[in-house]
Amino acid sequence: MRADLEEVFRTAYPRVVAVAARVLGDRHEAEDVAQEVFLTFGRSAVPAGEAIGWLCVAAAHTALNHLRSGRRRARREEDVRPETVSPDVADAVVTNDERRRVRQALRRLPRKQAVALVLRHSGLSYAEVAAALDLSPGSVGTTVRRAESALRKELNHASPE
Amino acid sequence: MRHPSDGTLRRLLDEPDGVADTDRDHVAACPACRSAMAGAERDAASAAASLSFEIGKVDDADVEAAWHRLSAAVPASPAGQPIRSGFRTTISRPLVAALAAVTLLAGATAAAATDWFQVFRADKVAPITVDPAELVQLPDLSAYGTVVIEQAPRVRQVTGAAAAKQVTGLAVPEVAALPHGVTGDPAYYAGDQAVAVFTFSTAKARQTAQAAGKPLPPPPAGLEGTKFRLTAGPGLAQVWREARGAPAMLVGRAAAPKAYSSGIPFETARDYLLALPGIPEAVAGQLRRFSADGTTLPLIVRSAEQTSSTADVNGAPALVLSSRDGAFSGVFWVRDGLINAVAGSLGTDEVLDVARTLGQGR
Repeated sequence: MRADLEEVFRTAYPRVVAVAARVLGDRHEAEDVAQEVFLTFGRSAVPAGEAIGWLCVAAAHTALNHLRSGRRRARREEDVRPETVSPDVADAVVTNDERRRVRQALRRLPRKQAVALVLRHSGLSYAEVAAALDLSPGSVGTTVRRAESALRKELNHASPE
Repeated sequence: MRHPSDGTLRRLLDEPDGVADTDRDHVAACPACRSAMAGAERDAASAAASLSFEIGKVDDADVEAAWHRLSAAVPASPAGQPIRSGFRTTISRPLVAALAAVTLLAGATAAAATDWFQVFRADKVAPITVDPAELVQLPDLSAYGTVVIEQAPRVRQVTGAAAAKQVTGLAVPEVAALPHGVTGDPAYYAGDQAVAVFTFSTAKARQTAQAAGKPLPPPPAGLEGTKFRLTAGPGLAQVWREARGAPAMLVGRAAAPKAYSSGIPFETARDYLLALPGIPEAVAGQLRRFSADGTTLPLIVRSAEQTSSTADVNGAPALVLSSRDGAFSGVFWVRDGLINAVAGSLGTDEVLDVARTLGQGR
């Protein structure tokens, strides 16, 4: 395991959880993803200077992979959906429904667009997204723009009547 | 002047300083670009709202707890803790190929992560058909059909021998005497049975063969659509560590990998798959571990890195592997449908001594 793992972990953990949570809409699941990502990082030879970018991309990829096994998760959400709901619970159900639609939309986006979108909205600069995805800074804007447009279309398409 | 691209307009929203002055001036004076930028702004705001998720504060205590969890998981992957050169390669390959549970504990997660890592580093962002984290110990046959992971092994450290037994239903082998240099109490790990169902698809296999530039050999009758259920584990392991935390010795036991078929015999399918052009060696190696009766012990030896020999462990034929630099040895044998292993930074005599004096456990 690399010697700087603990130092990098303590610095970057909150950020990595935040990236995964944006994809998954679930802190607990995001924490699981962070564990996976840091384990892989610990075995890697990623240069220390690239660690944050690498971890954020890895968190986005891993979280998107987790969406693929989303059937169980959807079932869990179905299970907890109450039949008779109070207003507060109704809000929560609506929010859950929105999150589910966002996740479905993210799953359908081309992977590079989805990752660029998540990273940009997690606060990475264009230069950081470019370095992490091996894009030119100029094409980051194009990729993010396409992703946002596609996300809107997906969400409109998936909107309930 | 040409209108700036959509990407430039998008960046103008976030990082105006990153956009050339000429583009900024153009947009300021161009109604079409301002309109396009307003559209980009709406989409960006909508995406920001969709992707916002308040996780609450991740405070020092959370980080501490998470670090503690990670630290506990790290010993479950000794492959990641090379203490001598060659150890990582050695332990992460033959052990993975050999043992269900032990590799669940010792190397499979690392192997899966490594595969994933390579995919990522190569920036091949194509969807991964099976979540690598769930692929522990089961061959990725997705290029030849569909693979449904029914149960992931969920390997974890447990409190002791009794807990390991409770999780796996297996007796925990008892080490009579520790080799020189191995001291202290072991950590115990347990993993559930991993289960996947593979269904062969001629169309997919043809595609894969074509990608390798070869025609697909005709599949045996009945292969198409036959479901094969592959199981590995449960398993347990005891791991002794050296002062710096690297594994010194590992003693493991696992239910042997098995394959069940709903149609033609698994061996027929396996031999056909193994003969296909372009099947990755890693997948072939994993596939060879599976048999219908779960009693074979096929080990893949990387001749460049390891030597192998046979031995006898109290009447059971055993395979001994050692790294060419002598840094690592392991002995593997099957008894009563269970694969057993003793391995570590030890000599072959030492691992055999431990194996031959191992109590069958309670």
